[in-house]
Amino acid sequence: MELLCLGLNHRTAPVEVRERFAVGNKKLGAAACELSAMTGVSEGLVISTCNRTEYYLVASDTREAFALLESHLAEKIQIDAGVADHFYRMEKTDAARHLCRVVSGLDSMLLGETEIFGQVKQSYQAALEAGATAGVLNRLFQRAFGVGKKVRTETSIQHGSTSVGNVAVDLAEKIFGHLKDSEVMILGAGEMSRITAQSLVSRGARSIFVANRSYDRAVELATEMGGSAVRFDAWQKVLERVDVVISSTGCPFPIVHRADVEPARHARKFRPLFFIDIAVPRDIDPAVGEIEEVYLYDIDTLEQLAQRARGSRQLQIDECERIIDIELAKFNLAGTRDPRGQGE
Amino acid sequence: MDRWLLIASTLLALIGSVRGGLAVHRGRRSRSTVLWLGAAMVCQLAFLAHRGQLRGVCPLADRGEILVFLAWSLTLFYLLVGPAYRISLLGVFSAPVVVVFQAVALVPGALDAQPRGITGGNPWHEMHSATSVLGYGALALASVAGVMFLVLDRQLKQHHLQSGLFQRLPPVRELLVSMVRLLWLGGGLLSLGILAGMLMPRDSQADHHMIAGHLIAALVVWTGYAVLLGVHRVRGLTGRRLALLTVAWFILSLGVFAFI
Repeated sequence: MELLCLGLNHRTAPVEVRERFAVGNKKLGAAACELSAMTGVSEGLVISTCNRTEYYLVASDTREAFALLESHLAEKIQIDAGVADHFYRMEKTDAARHLCRVVSGLDSMLLGETEIFGQVKQSYQAALEAGATAGVLNRLFQRAFGVGKKVRTETSIQHGSTSVGNVAVDLAEKIFGHLKDSEVMILGAGEMSRITAQSLVSRGARSIFVANRSYDRAVELATEMGGSAVRFDAWQKVLERVDVVISSTGCPFPIVHRADVEPARHARKFRPLFFIDIAVPRDIDPAVGEIEEVYLYDIDTLEQLAQRARGSRQLQIDECERIIDIELAKFNLAGTRDPRGQGE
Repeated sequence: MDRWLLIASTLLALIGSVRGGLAVHRGRRSRSTVLWLGAAMVCQLAFLAHRGQLRGVCPLADRGEILVFLAWSLTLFYLLVGPAYRISLLGVFSAPVVVVFQAVALVPGALDAQPRGITGGNPWHEMHSATSVLGYGALALASVAGVMFLVLDRQLKQHHLQSGLFQRLPPVRELLVSMVRLLWLGGGLLSLGILAGMLMPRDSQADHHMIAGHLIAALVVWTGYAVLLGVHRVRGLTGRRLALLTVAWFILSLGVFAFI
């Protein structure tokens, strides 16, 4: 019996193709059963996320199994001619290595992301409970989860934040620790500030104040986020109580000056204050960052930090691949690697 | 034998310091520092117990003993405070201070080679010495937290966020909270020490002058910390100023030992 994998992902197929193959979480078990019920197939499993759908099969004849699977999909999803070109097909150790790469986040759109680990685990659990897996897939997936954990603990593949919003939230946590005691003010009700503020709230920030030139828009956003709206000419007063200020107005000149912050310092008892300026042109005068207890980060600095994290993750790929090869060799799953790579 | 115990303790703290520093440099958690400092503390305790037996009183009779007691007190507070606040890195910063204190204690002349037993010891005197040095231990650890804050503050201000040290340092607010709590604890112990010192019997005029000079120096130190904590509580202080004053005042306050 041989292992094979057929799949498509964000690199091989556009979203309008991927969405047709998507399988809901509740249907993963049934989909796996359908695979294992095919002639000549003893085990089956489906992984489905927003960026990939992959079918893992154990069959006596791989060529026959690929053909059967593709005709099964053609019948079920009614795929157009040419869609099959989006598929990648892997066998034996290449399929095993691919699974380890997927579980480790090496094949993800956001390199090193951790969500995929849980998603694959959920798919495996569904197939296991449906009775669609047995010796080969059980052993393979258990091993892949072990490899994924090892890759994440022994390399820096998941270190650092790779998006501006996450960098800002990580910095807020570096300054304030748990954000449950922190209050946040948003200047300007734009999309970027909304996303960043939402990240802070999701990590526990206690309350949100929204100040916007259009008060109605401030009320709208504040209601959406469970916070309070503030009139734009009153934000200096709110500065006395907040810990984080996210600014993203469309104003062509700075709106926050040192003179705006100085009066609030005494009332704040000189507690640390974190300014996140994600506006272009900048909303916050750089002189504000010279105040002792103020930490000021603008969009360029945040983007540089995110870029650096992405770069350092890229540098970890070889080390991750090495760990995967060693671990697969230990369990006699690794073979000679295809010099052309993964074929995606 | 006591000298060998002190050398062993210093070496253990040195190993903890170097291993911790290397771990931080590589961006890893310095898990073993707490163990090395724990082992160093066992040797400190054995040293102090041996000296205490020889003296017949709390071993704070020469500068070497005071420094070792201070290093023990710092280690004790680190082991108590570090895990409670999840400040594993505190050990990496504390271990070098322990090494320095004990290395100075090992300098010839700092420790009496033949410690003489002290007769007629007085409980107020012993309480004064012990609580004061314990207080100094807490204040030393507050200074260590202050140094950690200054490093983190500088890195955050200059946007240098890639080092292993930055990744491992605890959050700004956590450092400030532990610094202030240690200052209150140290200040409280120092107050007890001074009160006990005031109740110490003075057998002669020379005794009177010596104790008075010592207590005046201790009161100056105490007043400095009281002002620092008072200003922080009432008016507030930026983290940088609080940390700088904590470190500077601790270094200056070590001068009080010149009056012993």
